[in-house]
Amino acid sequence: MTAPAAKTAAHGRPILEIRNVTKDFGGVRATDDLSLAIAPGELHCMIGPNGAGKSTFFKLLMGTIRPTKGEILFNGEDITRLPPHQRARRGLGIKFQNMQVYSELTVFQNFFIPLRRNHKPSAMPGLVADILDRIHLSGLEDELVRNLSHGQQQWLSIGMSIALEPKVLLLDEPAAGMGRDETQSTAEIIKSLNAEGMTIIVIEHDMEFIRNLSSRTSVLHLGALFAQGSYEEIETDDDVRKIYLGKV
Amino acid sequence: MTGRADETTPVNSHAKIPFGFLRLVEGPQTMGRGWPFWTGFAIVILLAFLAPTYFGIRPYRVNEFIVSGFLAASLSILWGYAGILSLGQAAFFGVGGYVFGIIGINLFDATGNTHLALAGGILAPTVFAAFVGAIMFFARLKGVYIAILMLVLSLLLETFMLQTADPEVYRIGEALLGGANGLRPASDIPSVAFGWGEAVAEINGRREGFYYFALTLLIVVYLGLRMLLNSSFGYLLVAVREDPDRTETFGYDVRLIQLAVFCLSAALAGLAGSLDTARINRVDPELVFSVSANIMVVIWVAVGGRKDLTTAILGAITLEWLYLWLTTSGSPEYATLVMGGILVAAMLIAPEGVFVWIGNRLGRLFGRSRTPAAKAAEARQ
Repeated sequence: MTAPAAKTAAHGRPILEIRNVTKDFGGVRATDDLSLAIAPGELHCMIGPNGAGKSTFFKLLMGTIRPTKGEILFNGEDITRLPPHQRARRGLGIKFQNMQVYSELTVFQNFFIPLRRNHKPSAMPGLVADILDRIHLSGLEDELVRNLSHGQQQWLSIGMSIALEPKVLLLDEPAAGMGRDETQSTAEIIKSLNAEGMTIIVIEHDMEFIRNLSSRTSVLHLGALFAQGSYEEIETDDDVRKIYLGKV
Repeated sequence: MTGRADETTPVNSHAKIPFGFLRLVEGPQTMGRGWPFWTGFAIVILLAFLAPTYFGIRPYRVNEFIVSGFLAASLSILWGYAGILSLGQAAFFGVGGYVFGIIGINLFDATGNTHLALAGGILAPTVFAAFVGAIMFFARLKGVYIAILMLVLSLLLETFMLQTADPEVYRIGEALLGGANGLRPASDIPSVAFGWGEAVAEINGRREGFYYFALTLLIVVYLGLRMLLNSSFGYLLVAVREDPDRTETFGYDVRLIQLAVFCLSAALAGLAGSLDTARINRVDPELVFSVSANIMVVIWVAVGGRKDLTTAILGAITLEWLYLWLTTSGSPEYATLVMGGILVAAMLIAPEGVFVWIGNRLGRLFGRSRTPAAKAAEARQ
């Protein structure tokens, strides 16, 4: 059991609770009666083969799509029917799978949008410098985002979500397309944010990356929760190896 | 938008500009900054004010170009800044023009001014845009669907207005909608007039007075829009253009931002329509709601440079001037062909806009930074 998992037991009420959520797209069931509780301060990983419904799960959490059945509670409040901007205001931050930065603006200007709602422009340079330091992009304020490397843009996207000061941060494949060193740095960024107390849910394909995070892990399969436990438990689970790792 | 930060606060925190006024009208969302730009701006404005006296330009025609500038600005903020292409921008222009004329015909004799007509010409298309925009944006329509819907809306208005010839039915007070002939009695459509009682200044749309009035108003609107676009609202528009879904995850109701800019754009188009009706004391369906009326606006803005206010306005004025020159210089039958050729050439050589291309080169000459959009465009080339 890892330290964040220990917090699960310590806190009574989960910060995020998914209750029997089902999502159908026509005849396809993308999410099937999924229930999950995330404790405050937890780092939680979600894995699963392609088409397991991981990204759909995040979209349901963020409100870009709505469930066919079930409910989602955030801090005890039912947010199932709230639009994405209302969820963001309540403290849900997300980095979707595709690159989500304003490529035609500078790094500093990218932070203006997430910071603007809660901070005065005069406070922004200091805040941006602080966040850039945390995401390994110090000194790149005036760089045009288009000129950043793929990995740097991924970190910027995470940084923009941090700028919202979210209570829960959702990261969909934060290390996608990165080299080994960048992947390692991304894991460090995530672990340090979690150590600061931020609740984080990570979706990822890269098992090495998940091992590095070493947190409570859920396995999705065909839209349903297939298994849950520490990374070590999941890694050694024969059924998980069959469906996900392709090993017998 | 419910942000706590001041909506008009300049956000270009890195810029070091000595004068307070310049700090308000300069910023990363608009091209041109520092003394080279504003010196050039002052010279152009001075020459423009001297033009009727010293360069023999004909106000009747040139006034049309200035009115086009307002319409181009309205599409630039909507399409260039917020990323919402409307192929029916002339619909708001037309509604503004008709409402100005209808109120003018009914009230001008009694009041002696066109205050209410002008206010109606701006407000009516704004309310219309609020209604249409609320349906479109809250239904989460985007891209080409909005573009086509707006064109269809404009053509529906044209079709409807074309069959309003019956004076018994289609009459609002003294004003007859007049079908294809346009609003009647045309002789009662006023020019713009300000003041009360004896102290009324009526500005004939075909004379120099209107030229000076419209030019001054265009400068005021231009500077006001520069302030708005460089405020945090301008940033939000660009963010919505670049990635609406991402912007929503930062806690912004993108639909309200889109609706706000749609209404503002309609207000500007309505102002342009009102001025145009006042300019020629005429408004008819073909003039304001037709396909060509709508497409011309898109061509001005696309050729000039949609993502910058200055270049969009320059595009409108220049292309209108060019079109006039082509139609009056011996071979009018080629005018439309040449205009089409210019559009194709501009799209191939300078896809971000001809004046953006020129502006970037001038900017490099004077060592000034350009808009992020322009920088990105260069990076791609």
